Amino acid sequence: MIKYRDKNSGRNAYLLYPGEYFATKEDCFIISVTGVCMLVCLYETKLKFGGMCFVIVPGTFGTENIITSVLAGYGITQIELLLAEIVKAGGDRKNLTAKIFGAAYSNNGRSADELSESQIRFIKEYFTSERIPVLSSDLGGSHRRKIYFSPATGRVYKKILRNNNESSEFLKMEKEFIDDVFMNTGSGNFTLFERDTVNDF
Amino acid sequence: MNYIMVIDDSPTIRTSVAFTVKDLGCEIKQAENGADALEKISAIRSEGNDVSLCIVDVNMPVMDGISFVKEFKKNDKFTPVLMLTTESEEDKIKEGKTAGAAGWMIKPFKPDNLKSVVEKLMV
Repeated sequence: MIKYRDKNSGRNAYLLYPGEYFATKEDCFIISVTGVCMLVCLYETKLKFGGMCFVIVPGTFGTENIITSVLAGYGITQIELLLAEIVKAGGDRKNLTAKIFGAAYSNNGRSADELSESQIRFIKEYFTSERIPVLSSDLGGSHRRKIYFSPATGRVYKKILRNNNESSEFLKMEKEFIDDVFMNTGSGNFTLFERDTVNDF
Repeated sequence: MNYIMVIDDSPTIRTSVAFTVKDLGCEIKQAENGADALEKISAIRSEGNDVSLCIVDVNMPVMDGISFVKEFKKNDKFTPVLMLTTESEEDKIKEGKTAGAAGWMIKPFKPDNLKSVVEKLMV
């Protein structure tokens, strides 16, 4: 993530890179670009602050629901990391609203693909299960999106990137993040203190 | 009757954990934060039942997981508490151990791992 001064708004802007998450009480903009991944913007309506994170479920999960799917657990954890920051700052998930963007087709074609459909199904099931209202969403399609989120107001400004050369560096980083998530599905490390041992799986 | 307490502010994770450990011979009770859990544990025990294990998130509103363990351990030195969290920092893990937790598992959990740890802790 990099921080810079946005000339138009006169406010600080935080540019979020693929895989990152960030929550703040500052009156600023959190900005990012997404293609295949989803960008989730969460807003704490009582304390009036929020944050944004990248989400990708590493694969499709067939007929399972998010409660029983191990793959969905990775997507849930990416959102949980942002939620943990919001809770640490005094927020409560009962006061949250969400706006979600992305899950563009991964095959660069013009038709929906399995991965995109699976991401969309995941995120809808997740927010239904969490009882967090989704105030707006723009998911699927073949285009990339640049998202400007104001954590002080919860407002989102969206720019559709129709030219594939735009933000190509960002999309390279997104691909690296996706590859990393797909390859590293071995978490769940635990430590049992009484026996003083560490087991890695 | 013995219970496993599942304490997390996420209904999705509570349901997922409850689904994973439902066949281990205990009833499952869910709580959405540490304070809610302490009340429910007290109610369970006042009815002559007991709690065999608590599975607790760390970052929760009202009462977080570490505060819950400290409070719970004041009156119960023996019932194991497993922390299940996205927190992986060494200092936080030490804090959990000092508070009296029996183990620390990092999300996302694999169902077989969680079941096996729960079985070990309930022996």
